[in-house]
Amino acid sequence: MSMVSKRILKEVERLRQDPVPGIVAEPIEDNIRYFSVRMNGPNDSPYADGCFTLELYLPDEYPMQPPKVRFLTKMYHPNIDKLGRICLDILKDKWSPALQIRTVLLSIQALLSAPNPDDPLANDVAEQWKTDEKRAIETAIQWTAMYAERVVPSDAAKRE
Amino acid sequence: MAFCLSDGLMQVDYDDDEEEFVYSEEEEEYCDSAQPPLGATLMQAQKQADSAAYEEGDDYFLDDDEDEQPTSAIQLERKPWEVDFKAHDLEALQGRQEEMVTDLEPLLAVSRSSTDLLLRSYQWKTETLVEDYLADPDKVLSKTGVHAHPPVPSIESGDEEFACEICYGSGADEQYMGLVCGHRFCTSCYETYLTIKITEGDSWLIPCPAPKCKTLLGEEPTRLILTGNKEMLAKYESNLARSFVKSATTLAWCPAPSCEYAIECLVPRSGMDTTIPIVHCKCGKSFCFGCKVDNHIPAPCSLVKRWQKKCEDDSETSHWIKANTKDCPKCNTVIEKNRGCNHMTCRECHHHFCWVCMGPWSEHGQAYYACNKYNEATEGVNTSVSDARAQLERYMHYFTRYNNHEQSAKFAQNLLEATEANMEQLQRDMSLSWIDVVFLKNAVDVLTDCRAALKWTYVLGYYMVSDNQKVLFENNQSDLEMATEQLTELVEDPGDSSGIEDIKRKVLDMSHYVKSRLDILVTDTYQGLQENRWRFED
Repeated sequence: MSMVSKRILKEVERLRQDPVPGIVAEPIEDNIRYFSVRMNGPNDSPYADGCFTLELYLPDEYPMQPPKVRFLTKMYHPNIDKLGRICLDILKDKWSPALQIRTVLLSIQALLSAPNPDDPLANDVAEQWKTDEKRAIETAIQWTAMYAERVVPSDAAKRE
Repeated sequence: MAFCLSDGLMQVDYDDDEEEFVYSEEEEEYCDSAQPPLGATLMQAQKQADSAAYEEGDDYFLDDDEDEQPTSAIQLERKPWEVDFKAHDLEALQGRQEEMVTDLEPLLAVSRSSTDLLLRSYQWKTETLVEDYLADPDKVLSKTGVHAHPPVPSIESGDEEFACEICYGSGADEQYMGLVCGHRFCTSCYETYLTIKITEGDSWLIPCPAPKCKTLLGEEPTRLILTGNKEMLAKYESNLARSFVKSATTLAWCPAPSCEYAIECLVPRSGMDTTIPIVHCKCGKSFCFGCKVDNHIPAPCSLVKRWQKKCEDDSETSHWIKANTKDCPKCNTVIEKNRGCNHMTCRECHHHFCWVCMGPWSEHGQAYYACNKYNEATEGVNTSVSDARAQLERYMHYFTRYNNHEQSAKFAQNLLEATEANMEQLQRDMSLSWIDVVFLKNAVDVLTDCRAALKWTYVLGYYMVSDNQKVLFENNQSDLEMATEQLTELVEDPGDSSGIEDIKRKVLDMSHYVKSRLDILVTDTYQGLQENRWRFED
């Protein structure tokens, strides 16, 4: 499996050299497969002011199997449940071995701007989203203020 | 004659007019049925091959390598309830798939591998595919991710610019394969990818590894990548066959553990209430093609299902509770009275009451044996109690007998061993040959069949509405049951070996009689199902 660790090393190197705007992903100390991720909420979303932490784990079969990703920050979002698990097609059946950590994180960020209440993971949130979207968005803003870290202004500037 | 292997050829062989004339009747029958065809020609070929087998007096079910079995003799005098079927091994199933691809290829005018992929995407529903394809070929192709004429795949190298998106390997040394969609990956990543997909169980619809690319990997590129990986290729093929059998309504896997044969049977699903399509796999397993349960002749699938459900759930437990217990009138504790007088004291709440009228004991005073005051409410309870009791008794009646025959069938193995010992004893004592004593073993075989059938007659009996037809049915049943018991007795204790000829004659006569009783019962029951003569409770 030397080819796989070669791929992981290369991915880490590329993430370091050419980071994704608004996202920091770093392997944790001595485990090359376990990443700590900090993600800024997308500008045009109720999560805009927050910085969210996630954990990302590359299973042994990676990249043939998708990475396992989970929000550690409490989220109010129809496709993210209480445990931070994410409902996203590319993390399940639509996974392709040619996708990378970078593309996965970008997709998750995109999911924050475009919640999909028709394919819910958190049913109560999805229900709220469908019946009273305005209120749902307000709650999401509240939760972001309550649970997420504030985006560091310098980061925000970098993002734009 | 090895039919499994030559089916493809058979179809061509029998395509001449003469043969079609002979079998036109059967073909019509299958055209009329609501069965989604596995390809009309396929059935035609099957029927023709099968009928040909009968005509030529050939061994229908067995290949040349099978042991001599009485099956062929039985098949010559077919019973009305018997159905046509055939066991296919993996190779024959592959032949079937190829045949269907060959049939469709000229019509769709796409390459052979693309025809194969289209059929798989449509789960071998030829008609739907043809309909959709003729209406809008481009839509079908883009929806399924199939290209009409993909180039023959090849493994290449020597491209400086090549970089594998999976392992990030790059350079002129890397060997890679590209598909018609333009995505290229190195061969070792392809192999890992295919290995994982095949191990997970999908073989038939593996997409290109590129994100969101729908192009399907057909057999050609898969075989090219897996050249040399025999184990994985075998798994790939068996997965293909598995998906084929799963999609075809006329095919089913033999349910015996680790048996690799699939049975083809042309009984339409709609006819399951009136037929009991018992098939016999080459591995020796007999089962019902309709519900995959062990041979349950003469009971139809629907009743078998109801009976099994009834035996599993505990509706009868609640009947028992209802029939044999009463609730304490004060605290509702369930009480079973197993001895003593009618003066009850509840163990939970110490309430004193009368078991007969359920009233408080204090009211009984001196006249407690004359508790005969009529109470409508209690009467109501009593009726429901006696109803429940009657229902339970009825169920127990049938279940006891059903269970008894099931147990006896399990003892049949012991009886067989005992009989074989008996046979050896006879051979030694009387210096007889094996042929002279084999009648005992044959009798045990007949007994086993009878027990199995009798078992299921009690399920039929349980659900049958009481009418004149049921009386006739039960007469047949009791005739067979009596004869079976007599034969069992004879076989279990053949008596003094001095009169071997006498015993042999008796057993042979009795076996013959029992067999004919079994025949009558099964045939009549089957015909009753066909004619809708039996009325079953809902």
